[in-house]
Amino acid sequence: MTAPVVETVNLRKTYMLGEVPVDALQGVDLRVEQGDFLAILGPSGSGKSTLLNMIGALDKPTEGKVFIESVDVSTLNDNALADLRRRIGFVFQFFNLIPRLSARGNVELTMAIPGLGKTERRKRAEELLETVGLRERVNHKPAELSGGERQRVAIARALANNPRFLLMDEPTGNIDSKTAKEIIELVKELNEEKGVTIIVVTHDQQIALQAKRAMLMVDGLMIQEKVN
Amino acid sequence: MKVRDILSYAFGAIRLRKLRAGLTTLGVVIGIAAIVALLSITQGLQGTIAEQLQTGFATNTIIVSTGRGFGMGLDTITAPESDFKLLVSHTQIIDEIEGVDISAAEIRKSGYLRSGEQEFMLSIVGVDFARYADIYSSTFVARSGEISLNPENEAVVVGKRVSDPWENGTLLCDVDSTVEIIWTNASILPPKSEIYTGHVAAVLEEIGGFGIGPSDLSVYIPTSQAQSFFGTDECDRIIVKLENDDEATIESVSEAIKDAFSGQVSVTSSTAVLDIITSVFSTVELFLGGIAAISLLVAGIGIMNIMIVSLMERTREIGILKALGMKSRTVLSIFLSEAVIVGLMGAAIGIASGWVLANVVARVFSGGGPMQAGNRAAAASGMTIVPVLTPTVILGAFAFGLIISVIFALYPAWRASRLKPVEALRYE
Repeated sequence: MTAPVVETVNLRKTYMLGEVPVDALQGVDLRVEQGDFLAILGPSGSGKSTLLNMIGALDKPTEGKVFIESVDVSTLNDNALADLRRRIGFVFQFFNLIPRLSARGNVELTMAIPGLGKTERRKRAEELLETVGLRERVNHKPAELSGGERQRVAIARALANNPRFLLMDEPTGNIDSKTAKEIIELVKELNEEKGVTIIVVTHDQQIALQAKRAMLMVDGLMIQEKVN
Repeated sequence: MKVRDILSYAFGAIRLRKLRAGLTTLGVVIGIAAIVALLSITQGLQGTIAEQLQTGFATNTIIVSTGRGFGMGLDTITAPESDFKLLVSHTQIIDEIEGVDISAAEIRKSGYLRSGEQEFMLSIVGVDFARYADIYSSTFVARSGEISLNPENEAVVVGKRVSDPWENGTLLCDVDSTVEIIWTNASILPPKSEIYTGHVAAVLEEIGGFGIGPSDLSVYIPTSQAQSFFGTDECDRIIVKLENDDEATIESVSEAIKDAFSGQVSVTSSTAVLDIITSVFSTVELFLGGIAAISLLVAGIGIMNIMIVSLMERTREIGILKALGMKSRTVLSIFLSEAVIVGLMGAAIGIASGWVLANVVARVFSGGGPMQAGNRAAAASGMTIVPVLTPTVILGAFAFGLIISVIFALYPAWRASRLKPVEALRYE
């Protein structure tokens, strides 16, 4: 068996909310293999987003380790972390697009960061936007797009640098149910047809049903796992 | 990330807030324009003065005085206090010195010239016409009439502006006019006005400037006449023409003259005067440049202020960029690039507007402008300032604008680059 794409060992995170220490993660062990589609469910404050930030190399654990393709993230310096993030596709709950850039501009920027040339990244950005069904909207700015469209741009952006896996934080949290369904279809398609490894944190039961695996998180601990 | 992409990203961020960027740039523009205008005017003025000095004060001449008369300040300090008097006859001593071609004594008094009903304030200068014409062969030249080298007693030579004081063709006097030259002797009691009646033999070519040699605002009478008219053998200074104008000759003759008068005279060469003027101007330049630099400093603080505001507004954007894998130094580069773009644009516009400003000021000051007062002041000094914009000033202004922008952007840019992705993304 090949090494897991993502592995966490006894992951703990405590942060201060004002004066009060909050134990967001209390020892999470997780293994995600290549091609997996994992949904992590749980109530607000259960530590889902914190876990996702750790896996996305955006935050550092208080204790325990995160391995991305067998590399211990805690040993990486600032620059190496930046390089690592380029290989992780992040889709945020609030889209987090750059408002002044068009849909294509946002996708292109992701490829400009590792230094891809202008013609190549333009071509690829257009292809990606076509994949997510936004061929007609490439020149629109985020403010001119609907919530669902913005989320599609965010997914196209997350895929731009051929990431090792996709991290999605409540991808359907801010869009209507019909659009949410389309997004879920798109994500499922990416996983099944393109073999993209996906970890999604959500409240949405629909996603949990479509995923290959679903885990329930409560109070910073994984308490239940279900394989579809 | 490629440099071109960094610049284009930075440029996009600036374009998003045009008014804000414009006002920030304006700060730099004003600072740079002030520096460029002040420096190019001062340099122009310095050039004009140096040039006029050389016209009126041939480089192969030196001036001997007791230190009380002409001396540009420095000599007054070094000149010995004594009863020593520089006499007209001292030219004979000087003429004997090795390296001296010829010398001429000047007796100079303030007075006025009356022609018919009109009077005109001027300098009355007693000189040996032949010697003076030899020394100042380019300026002591007649435009009309003839400077008699062996003058009749009442012959006088007048400067251009004595003949035509209003510069409009209405002449106060001209060749063949009979004029009265009046001088008030205040050394006796009661003071007595002495009147000398002269016959205008020649009008000089226009000289311009504030020449140390012949001037547009003087009347020249023969030495012997001056001696009896002013009742003195004392002269104000002796102009010495050297055989050549190399440093060594100037040096050796100056020393020889000082020795001949036991150190009781001061000797001034044109090079020395130029040196003094240059040093005065460097000080003025530094002072004015310093004042202008303060405005640039203010502009720098403006840049810093706006960058910090921008940093707050864009915290989330920085979080996104970092989550996408942008390195801290790239974030730093983006913010610095924004400052560099503002600095360079400000410098370019500033240099151009400073240059325009300098020309406008110079024109007004030189009498070409509509201001009557400016006209008159400039006309009196007869100066035309041509602002000078040297490559050094241009490069310096660019560099200064750039350095100020970058220095003040360093802190905000550094803070932006240090933001933690998670915290930045959570920032509302």
